Amino acid sequence: MTGPEIPTTRKPAAFRLDDARVRLTDDDTRQPAADEALITQAFQEEEEPRLPRAASTPKTGFRFGKWLTIGLSGLVSLAIGLAVDSLIRDLFARTDWLGWLGVALAMLAALGLLGLAVRELAALMRLGRIDELRDRLAVAAEADDARAATAGLKDLVALYRDRPETAHGRKVLAGHMREVIDGRDLVKLAERDLLAPLDLEARRIVMNSAKRVSIVTAVSPRALVDLLAVLFENLRTIRRLSALYGGRPGTLGFFRLARQVLAHLAVTGGMAAGDSLASQVLGHGLAARLSARLGEGVVNGLLTARIGIAAIAVCRPAPFVASRGPSVSDFMGELVSLAKRQETDGNK
Amino acid sequence: MNRLTALTEETRLALANLADTASDLAVPSVRLGVTGLARAGKTVFLTALVHNLVHGGRLPLFAAAAGHRMTGARLQPQPDDAVPRFDYEAHVRALVNERVWPQSTRQVSELRLTIDYESASYFYRKLGPGRLHLDLIDYPGEWLLDLPLLAKDYATFSAEAMQRARAANRSAIAAPFLQAIAGIDPDAPESEQAAQELAGAFKTYLAACRADAHALSMLPPGRFLMPGDLDGSPALTFAPLDIAADSPAARTGTLRAMMERRYEAYKTHVVRPFFRDHFARLDRQIVLVDVLHALNAGPHAMADLEIALAEVLGAFRPGRRSWLSSILSRRIDRILFAATKADHLHRSDHDRLEAILKRLVARAEERARFKGAEVEVLAMAAVRATREATVKHRGAELPAILGTPLPGERLNGDTYDGQTEIAMFPGDLPNDPESLFAQAESISEAARPTLQAAQADLQFLKFRPPELDRTAEGLTLSLPHIRLDRALEFLIGDRLA
Repeated sequence: MTGPEIPTTRKPAAFRLDDARVRLTDDDTRQPAADEALITQAFQEEEEPRLPRAASTPKTGFRFGKWLTIGLSGLVSLAIGLAVDSLIRDLFARTDWLGWLGVALAMLAALGLLGLAVRELAALMRLGRIDELRDRLAVAAEADDARAATAGLKDLVALYRDRPETAHGRKVLAGHMREVIDGRDLVKLAERDLLAPLDLEARRIVMNSAKRVSIVTAVSPRALVDLLAVLFENLRTIRRLSALYGGRPGTLGFFRLARQVLAHLAVTGGMAAGDSLASQVLGHGLAARLSARLGEGVVNGLLTARIGIAAIAVCRPAPFVASRGPSVSDFMGELVSLAKRQETDGNK
Repeated sequence: MNRLTALTEETRLALANLADTASDLAVPSVRLGVTGLARAGKTVFLTALVHNLVHGGRLPLFAAAAGHRMTGARLQPQPDDAVPRFDYEAHVRALVNERVWPQSTRQVSELRLTIDYESASYFYRKLGPGRLHLDLIDYPGEWLLDLPLLAKDYATFSAEAMQRARAANRSAIAAPFLQAIAGIDPDAPESEQAAQELAGAFKTYLAACRADAHALSMLPPGRFLMPGDLDGSPALTFAPLDIAADSPAARTGTLRAMMERRYEAYKTHVVRPFFRDHFARLDRQIVLVDVLHALNAGPHAMADLEIALAEVLGAFRPGRRSWLSSILSRRIDRILFAATKADHLHRSDHDRLEAILKRLVARAEERARFKGAEVEVLAMAAVRATREATVKHRGAELPAILGTPLPGERLNGDTYDGQTEIAMFPGDLPNDPESLFAQAESISEAARPTLQAAQADLQFLKFRPPELDRTAEGLTLSLPHIRLDRALEFLIGDRLA
């Protein structure tokens, strides 16, 4: 693609291909000799188009489980309503002011419930929007569709509008969108300019949490304490990552996120076997050479890192196009060196 | 009188629509209006569209084809028996075997393409296999210039034509015609001799305006440039006279009365049937614009093209389609403005080409949007005649295209023979499309040399159709294109959903 500033002096020119001073080449890096024109033919993609997404999306038929949930929760709410109603009647039967107090409290509770529901709903919708945005950007990058990419990136910029720390990235990206750039390259540029600082921060959050887990595991007196610590750390990481990438998960949203992270983990657990299994085995080997305790800490830390990576993939509003995203091996080295340091400290 | 004709026209249209709606109940049809001035590439667009659909060309962004839901497309007998068939086979032969562009179209022709598909939705699939008739019409682009005449009387037409002929950029070309008209008194007694001479001079002037060097577009009436089968008839033997737009009615027996009668006859017998039969009942429209040809000729050609497009597009009926209203009146609910011949530019300039087109059709686009139609602007090439390349030369890296120029094309004093392949850098399109138009008003004759220098920054050659690869069995692969699939998706994609 041409750069942003084009010299105005470029005149039309033509080169006959049968001219002696014109050479055709496939090598991009070669430079022409003096008074010679070097022509590199552009590679024409002849890729078979992908099948539409619908072909590979599992059909969601009737959800009988959903019906069950709706029915049961409806019954429970009716029961609660009935109980409250009879309580207030009883209160009125005793004294009037007690009854009114009951009514006021019930209203307060209803308002609270309403507010809660609205906020949860808003949070869920925001998460849904992030998911949808990621899908759209992924499709746009794959199809190299500049228009779709621009539309998606506008939404991305809107998502981060009230985040001052992204001001610079947003400005740069808005500049890119005015230029003539291919769809895939636009998404890459967004990743580099807007998301890179967030990615770095996300990586640090996961790293720190993995370290904490490995230390706690190493020093905790009981297995139950480890378990609680790991659980707590992971949930906190997911929450922080979501907030970092622009989601504002409430309780329900958080459950949804956690479910997605688990699903993602299940999927990538199988897929990533190829690339990270070796390093993990290696890690186990290293861990085994440390004391059992510390080795356990490293393994737990790696588990946390994995969950963190899955959480990044779920929370990030754009797919990883330019880079491959963080992988377990990125965290491995630091965790092991941490464990070693602890060991030497402990031996002293 | 005028209101009465309008009313009868409307009634006839409504009846025709009713008949269409009834036949659409069996198999739905889409009438695709391919609109474009002469040499915009209508015939090539139609040929490429049919070829790619019939032969399963590469259409990755046309969802029905890319999703393998389209089971086939075939040519069918067209619905109108009185209209010649679009000679698709001959056009394909010309493009593929002889590698020449089709001759300019001389008459209206029609083609029906039937597409078999399976719907993506479960419900429609259960209703049976999907089928869609696509009705395509080809016609000489010159005739399109007649449509604005429907709303103008003779005095208005005359005044506008004279004003254009006397404009700074045309007066030189129009000199013989202006001379001829100077010696004629509109109120003199009618004379066939005078009428023929004047009409002849007018025709010569219009034809001269259209030559490549000027590339002007606003040249009504269209039959004067492409007479079809009416050549020499009285309806085609008239010319504008030097009268004011609001001058009083002509006395009978004068030259002016005769011209006026013939102008009205032209409208009644030529323009109105053409409009009624081919344009009043469209569902979708693609407006092909050859921006590069006008760019080659300079800002005056651009300004002229803008006016011509605005006037022509004013004759169409965009609007939102609703189930109930579509029974009686059809509306164009999707309009695609396409800058054709985008293959004559490197891909990096396509967005600028789109911006220029957007500026060109701004008025028509706004009107269509306001009426509720969906509008898109696209740079495309129905047949891609070139490949892309990068040229490194004297320390600069130029985005170029590779192709074989047509015989007789010239650049920098070099004339090509139609055999040599060249790498061509046509110059950079401006980032701001406004700069191409701003010049037209401010240029006086004195500034002409500087303009010529500025114009030399852009030069587009015409290329021959591409050489096609053949498979081992000797089958020709489908015609290459640029964004034809995107255009198809916008135009008929929703009807194949």
